[in-house]
Amino acid sequence: MQQAGGGSETEVTWEDQQNINKFGRLNNRYHELEDEIRIAKEANENFEDASNELILTDEEVVRFQIGEVFAHVPKDEVEMRIEQMTETTTKHLEKLKDEKDAVVAQMADLKKVLYAKFKDSINLEED
Amino acid sequence: MATSASPQQPGGAVVAERRGIPAASFVEDVQIYLNQLGLDVNSTLAFLQERLQQYKVVEMKLLAQQRDLQAKIPDIEKCLDALLTDFEASEGIYSRARVEDIDSVCLWLGANVMLEYSCEEATSLLRKNLENAKASLEVLIADLQFLRDQVTITQVTIARVYNWDVHQRRVRQALASQDS
Repeated sequence: MQQAGGGSETEVTWEDQQNINKFGRLNNRYHELEDEIRIAKEANENFEDASNELILTDEEVVRFQIGEVFAHVPKDEVEMRIEQMTETTTKHLEKLKDEKDAVVAQMADLKKVLYAKFKDSINLEED
Repeated sequence: MATSASPQQPGGAVVAERRGIPAASFVEDVQIYLNQLGLDVNSTLAFLQERLQQYKVVEMKLLAQQRDLQAKIPDIEKCLDALLTDFEASEGIYSRARVEDIDSVCLWLGANVMLEYSCEEATSLLRKNLENAKASLEVLIADLQFLRDQVTITQVTIARVYNWDVHQRRVRQALASQDS
């Protein structure tokens, strides 16, 4: 993702190297966050599907999966649990999104600094 | 004149290696670096490329370990969950339970071994395993970050050595055409 162009004269200082390293780390974290956000969104969708199914069913006792076992749980309790899990996941999702925004902002700042010094000699874009 | 290319001590502390992974020394001046290594440009580039490959191998290994841990942790959490909630559900609703008496729990330890524990022992064992797994994961993530930094430094060094060489050739060509 990052390369320096050919035959340039610009010197690379330790500070530059640290900035480049930091950009690399942030970029990695960005991709990790994207994955985590996708997983959390899917989980929320599943919860919603499950709770919709629940509304449609007439059974009083629902088989609720805990780990690898299914426990027979009354419908109301299941509803409550799904709500709790949805809330937890949504909060987690918010946190992830906030972190992602912070990472994107830091990356933008670093890009400004690095492009200013190295111009064409450095490529910080996703290929 | 530039200083020599030994491990830096600016701002943050720089380690020479971390848990068996050698650090990539930052190069202040390419000319001095080449003199220190005593190699010509191509050999230096080959050496750096090899270093890069070695880093990649270690990175693959660490990533695999990380994936394993990341799968293990939710597993342990689910077990703990099952343990805690089965108490609530054990009022006769969970009629197909193999463990009806809530005083003992059997934990699968792996390697075809299963042990019976009291519920408190089981809970604390699972909690301890969870803590250990989380701690290992943190160390692993820090290792991976360190590794990625070394990869980046090495990549930049390779580019700089290459650029320096290109620059040298141009200078030599310019001088040669001046003389003739």
